[in-house]
Amino acid sequence: MPGISFREVRHTYRPPRGKPVLALEGVSLEVQDREFLALLGPSGCGKSTLLYLLGGFIPVEQGEIAVGGKPVNGPSPDRGIVFQHFALFPWKTVRQNILYGLEKQGMPKAEREKRAQEFVELVHLKGFEDSYPSQLSGGMRQRVAIARTLAVEPEILLMDEPFGALDAQTRALMHEELLAIMRRAPKTVVFVTHDVREAVYLADRVAVMSARPGRIKEVVDTKFKSNAQGEALQQTSEFAAKVDHLWKLVRDEAIRAQGTQQ
Amino acid sequence: MARVNDPSRREAYLTALRVGSGVAFFAAWQFTAMSHVFSDFLLPSVPVVFARLLHDLVSGDLLYGILLTLIRTFIGFVLAAVGGIVLGVSIARIPAVRWFFDPLVSIGLPMPKIAFLPIFMLWFGVFDTSKVLMVTFSSIFPVIVESWSGTQNIDKYMTWSAMSLGVNRHRFLWEIALPAALPQVFTGLQVALPIALIVDIVCEMQMGGEGMGGSIMTDMRFADSPGVFAYIIAIAVVGMILVKAMEIVRRRLLVWHQEAQAA
Amino acid sequence: MSGAVAVEAATPRPAARPLAARLSAALWRTLPVVLVCLAWEIGPRVGLINPEALPPLSAVVKAWWGLLQDGSLVSNGITSLWEVVAGLGLSIVVGVGSGVLMAWYAPVDAIVSPLMKSLYPMPKSALIPVMILWFGLGSASKIASVFCGCLLPVVLSSYNGARGVDQTLIWSALGLGASRRRVLWEVVIPGALPEIMAGIRNALAISFILMVAAEFLVGQHGLGYLISFLGDGGVYDAMFAGVLTVSAFGFLADRVYLLWMNRMLRWRE
Repeated sequence: MPGISFREVRHTYRPPRGKPVLALEGVSLEVQDREFLALLGPSGCGKSTLLYLLGGFIPVEQGEIAVGGKPVNGPSPDRGIVFQHFALFPWKTVRQNILYGLEKQGMPKAEREKRAQEFVELVHLKGFEDSYPSQLSGGMRQRVAIARTLAVEPEILLMDEPFGALDAQTRALMHEELLAIMRRAPKTVVFVTHDVREAVYLADRVAVMSARPGRIKEVVDTKFKSNAQGEALQQTSEFAAKVDHLWKLVRDEAIRAQGTQQ
Repeated sequence: MARVNDPSRREAYLTALRVGSGVAFFAAWQFTAMSHVFSDFLLPSVPVVFARLLHDLVSGDLLYGILLTLIRTFIGFVLAAVGGIVLGVSIARIPAVRWFFDPLVSIGLPMPKIAFLPIFMLWFGVFDTSKVLMVTFSSIFPVIVESWSGTQNIDKYMTWSAMSLGVNRHRFLWEIALPAALPQVFTGLQVALPIALIVDIVCEMQMGGEGMGGSIMTDMRFADSPGVFAYIIAIAVVGMILVKAMEIVRRRLLVWHQEAQAA
Repeated sequence: MSGAVAVEAATPRPAARPLAARLSAALWRTLPVVLVCLAWEIGPRVGLINPEALPPLSAVVKAWWGLLQDGSLVSNGITSLWEVVAGLGLSIVVGVGSGVLMAWYAPVDAIVSPLMKSLYPMPKSALIPVMILWFGLGSASKIASVFCGCLLPVVLSSYNGARGVDQTLIWSALGLGASRRRVLWEVVIPGALPEIMAGIRNALAISFILMVAAEFLVGQHGLGYLISFLGDGGVYDAMFAGVLTVSAFGFLADRVYLLWMNRMLRWRE
């Protein structure tokens, strides 16, 4: 099972109109196998860009990104991705969305259907298999997106602010669901967010990024010694201290990011 | 593709691309003509057509034809614009008017109104009146629909803000509703103008006489293919100029609109 | 335990209103049309409108029936419909393919796009004489004229639709193991479908206009020809019947297409 390594990754964003902008500057980071790493930083710091580079959706121009020792070369089902706005195929039903990746793997039909159904049930959407995304709430759509990505059993899971489009209550529920899924079948997760509490709660380590051009400012361990779970954990002083520490790190960068925004 | 970052250079780049593809188009035409895959009759060569174009331009025939076509188109268009806007706004604001015209407009919209040309010829003769009225009849529908929609679908939050600022009904119409509806009304006009031109040309082709449509049909009947092609180029240019003119007017008129800022 | 997940409601489909209510609402909506028909019947009869210029509705209906019976409506109707279907069908095949390819492959876009945008404002009806020169006086020139008129709207809407497909949809498909070619077929085209279908609806209206215009000008078949033939012959009630028939075809075609389009796109919000 591969770890991920970023070495001196630089990236320049070249919009069709306007001047090129340096988005990432010398990002170096190691992600351990089966680790849940959060990328935390202010808007525009390049954290999503870093994720897309890792996913192989944007070519790496300078520096190196390697998974299990091999450099990243284009998208692959080994690195599954979940987007903030769900990116479900609106013309396909829930079941058809989840089946999509399985079809691409050339699995025989009976096995595909069985596997898809397993994942429908994993995310508690039994009964909605034949609904279209337009008929579902935001939380349900995101669960479909997660099921679709997990169904192809990627070794690495990339998540780009996956709960950002959900309301606070739904988001809290989704946190629990995600943790439960990870306990059942642990994977390496790289999770982009700008929400400090979310990062501290979900991740084993949090990498704080600076404002644009993005660098890794500091990496903080967020495994907890306490045995508390869920809400109880979030009320311990250990938790609060970690959040406070990270918030201070992020706040300076957030202020700097505000200043440089056009 | 080259990255062009400076906005004015980008305009220049786009224009160069347009001109370039125009040149490529004529080059392809000339090449095909010269290869004689098709006869000179079916596809006259570019120089022959341009010579003809120049000849008609110099003799004044071309400009006269363009003028007649444009006059008819404009009169019909203006009638459609005024009538369409008045009707569209009334439909939006007066329920009785809406009740009456809603089914008529929605039935009329997808109908090929050109089919009514013989009726108009019967009623108004074979001269300019029937052409102009036909143009009006055909191009009024998009104006009605867009004016109606633009006036009716004003952002309710803007309306509520205005009301809480104490504006009365009459002033609301002129000072808030109509300016807010203007982008969509103008879109309706932008759709209507090319329709006006198309319909006018078809009317001229059918009824003959002077004007671009009439000339092109005459040339066709005399198997004068360079003439036919020359007129097509002339009509294409006229069409392009009209559309471009509307875009420029839109930008000036709607300088406050968010699409202008996005550009 | 994630049993704490609340059961969220999916949006239910709205319940249908009772049939009686829907029927009476439909009747109320069509009342203006009924009033116009009444005016059409009574006006000429009482001399308010010159019955030479506008025969009363009943005379027109009678003439329509006569045209139906002697077969001229059917045979000409079939010709016209064939011209529309063939011209539109061809433009869809060529247009959707071109538009999507242009959106997907940048070099194609760079070359073809400016040309397309320049040709867009040209009134395609002006091409009818060329089509007649090239394809003669029969249906072929009509089909070609329809094709010319419908092509650009279909290309443009396919192009815009394909370009408008969300990047994250494409990336999701790639991330699930689809090749770029498959993504084109399985994501871009379905994603572009709403806009493509809207463009085809536009093209449908244009197809009728060009078919009628071309048939007015030359030829001996089709509803356009029939109308102008009857007009030249002074048989005005039948002429009106012909005009109504063509208009009705255009209207029905649009409505039927709209039903089909909404069915195809029932997954939309």
